[in-house]
Amino acid sequence: MAKVTREMVERSGINVDQLVELLVKNAAAELTTYYYYTILRFNLIGLEGEGIKEIAETARIEDRNHFEALVPRIYELGGKLPRNMNDFHDISACPPAYLPDDPSDVREILKVLVEAERCAVRGYTQVCNMTAGKDHRTYDLAQAILNEEIEHESWFSEFLGEGPSGHFLRRGETSPFVSKFLK
Amino acid sequence: MKKFTKVELGKYNGKNGMPIFVAYQGKVYDVSSSFLWKKGKHQVLHKAGLDLTDELKVAPHGAEMLEKFPVVGILEHSC
Repeated sequence: MAKVTREMVERSGINVDQLVELLVKNAAAELTTYYYYTILRFNLIGLEGEGIKEIAETARIEDRNHFEALVPRIYELGGKLPRNMNDFHDISACPPAYLPDDPSDVREILKVLVEAERCAVRGYTQVCNMTAGKDHRTYDLAQAILNEEIEHESWFSEFLGEGPSGHFLRRGETSPFVSKFLK
Repeated sequence: MKKFTKVELGKYNGKNGMPIFVAYQGKVYDVSSSFLWKKGKHQVLHKAGLDLTDELKVAPHGAEMLEKFPVVGILEHSC
């Protein structure tokens, strides 16, 4: 733990234990999403699925990057990950992104993907709201993750016919916003 | 429809096997089936068994998230 780091956040008026618990829940959501998106991606097959496979893979890898970026901050603030991975799964801030009953229905898979991203957008908006102007490092991290989750949501939303996302696929490396936390 | 006082609603906090109810704008919702309301807490900050009308105003989502859950009663307002 970074003692003064935690103290500064406490003195800003934030309940650090609550913040840490929220970060752990969001880290759980990221790691479980990485797992469930692996299954979803494998099931994006055929002519229709192939067009979405790459973008689902990008979201999957970036969500794993989000987990990797969150964990150091959790420990800096005096928190820790649960000892038992089953417990970690069950405290996730977002419901599991299960494969739909009909895995051949690409549209149903897209709905699972977009709802997972929407949950993440809400979660990191909440963390940003809590930390803005108070915990500058967690805010910077949460905002970076939020930027990527918003892009994920917009990609899947576009594929569902809800309107243009305004974004291209990633060109080059993944995590344009979060990568600075991974160095 | 069943009427709940705030005290009665408070019992449905997800503890000791109790169902998980929350109130919003006078309606009582059963959110026991929600993954995000396990053990009677939501996203660290919100507890079951309470009227969450004010808390929802500052949440990162609207009341539409409650629409998929059954309404099990009405919350009586104290005088």
